Amino acid sequence: MSEEITRRDALGKVVRGTVLLGFAGGAGYLVKKANGQIVWQVDAAKCVNSRLGEVGAQVCTLCTSECVVSQSAVRAVNNFSKCGRCYICPAYYNIKSAVDEKGLPSEKLCPRDAIERKPIGLIDPEDPANNFYEYIIDEEKCDGCGICVKGCKEPLGLGSIVLKVRYNLCVDCNRCAIASACPKDAIAQEQVKEALEIEGAAKPVT
Amino acid sequence: MKYKQVQVISGKGDASDRFVQTLRSIAVDGRNRLYAVGDSELKIFDPDGRVQRRWPTSKPGYAVAVAADGSVYVGQAGQVEIFDGEGRLADRWSDAERLGRVTAIGFLGSSVLIGDANDRAIRRYETGGKFLNNIGKNNRMQGFLIPNGVLDFSVDADGIIHAANPGKHRVERYTPEDHLLGHIGRFDGLDPSGFSGCCNPTNVTVVGRNRIYVTEKAEPRAKVYDFQGKLLSVIATVVFDPNCKNMDIAVDTRGRVYVADTVRLEILAFEEDAQP
Repeated sequence: MSEEITRRDALGKVVRGTVLLGFAGGAGYLVKKANGQIVWQVDAAKCVNSRLGEVGAQVCTLCTSECVVSQSAVRAVNNFSKCGRCYICPAYYNIKSAVDEKGLPSEKLCPRDAIERKPIGLIDPEDPANNFYEYIIDEEKCDGCGICVKGCKEPLGLGSIVLKVRYNLCVDCNRCAIASACPKDAIAQEQVKEALEIEGAAKPVT
Repeated sequence: MKYKQVQVISGKGDASDRFVQTLRSIAVDGRNRLYAVGDSELKIFDPDGRVQRRWPTSKPGYAVAVAADGSVYVGQAGQVEIFDGEGRLADRWSDAERLGRVTAIGFLGSSVLIGDANDRAIRRYETGGKFLNNIGKNNRMQGFLIPNGVLDFSVDADGIIHAANPGKHRVERYTPEDHLLGHIGRFDGLDPSGFSGCCNPTNVTVVGRNRIYVTEKAEPRAKVYDFQGKLLSVIATVVFDPNCKNMDIAVDTRGRVYVADTVRLEILAFEEDAQP
């Protein structure tokens, strides 16, 4: 009898300890989260769509297909300080499509038509190539498929477009479904300060 | 017209004929010796590809050119170093404003032409170092469109400057006094006679009065056109590392074409294939 009580007591202590530890861990996580210290974010230097040295790789669309959020919490983001503002942007145009009467590729690359191309200043009527162009991603339409990211990757582009988790859309799962599926471990929890930095796409492969 | 690969010179490594981190520019002289700059060193190879001489440069070189008198000009960030044929430093032109990052050098009579990739313009100097005028700067875009970060040009036998304007998918012709005469080239991602991607061609060299040799990035390839813009041959494509960009190109008096693979740090040589 006394032996059974001892076992029950011991078992109870273990359970209580585990629960307490769980609460403590969870509380710690919640405190960190409440302070905005950790978030899920994409590491552009690891992402197969933006990582250097992955020229022949197929585009990876797991950020769209695996995210539990409808239309995904991941978006393509253009770092304007790196963007070449090219006349023919390989992230905007399907540069392998036939050339139209204006001498431009006849097809756009984004399947959701989520990139807007705007001339900066007035277009030279005699030569539209005499212009810089701004490429703006419409985040209402973008679903983070990464096709434009791969189009912009060096050496084809300048690597100015990368994938980013949008915190207003992310539901912050304990275990991110994209992170579980990502073959390159390119999604990880980061400090907010680090996660907000857009640099990284151009880091060389080591 | 078809080309075949005949030689691979240099490569990655720390041997005397190799480069450790970068290979940025190549040139040939009248005796078919090949000059290459990379890391912070210049190497001269004999016509058979053996390293003949090498010497350090004070900063990493972005451009190399050999003058008719045998002087070797090396373009760097903020300056040009001028060496005699033995590697002794003869002069250094420093001009932080006009020589931001020198990625091409050419010669035209008593002028030295210098491509400043920072300001996207060609500078024309007297051989003594006095600045004369800009080329390609006085336009709506205030310079060449070079998202690839390299401004490259070459001078033909008639003294016309042929400059790559990759953002426009063109090779433009200028007089030394900065008059735009015309261009060849157009965008086309399917037809190899066009220039593909966002910004091509990246590098150019002109031979005589009717040959324009160019390289492109993503996918890397070397091609030759006539002065009317007709594609004569795709010299090579799959032999380069697919991550290559800004592959400098040079042609010697034998018609041998040299192309710098900027990832493998190799210089690939091609010759016309006599086989039909």
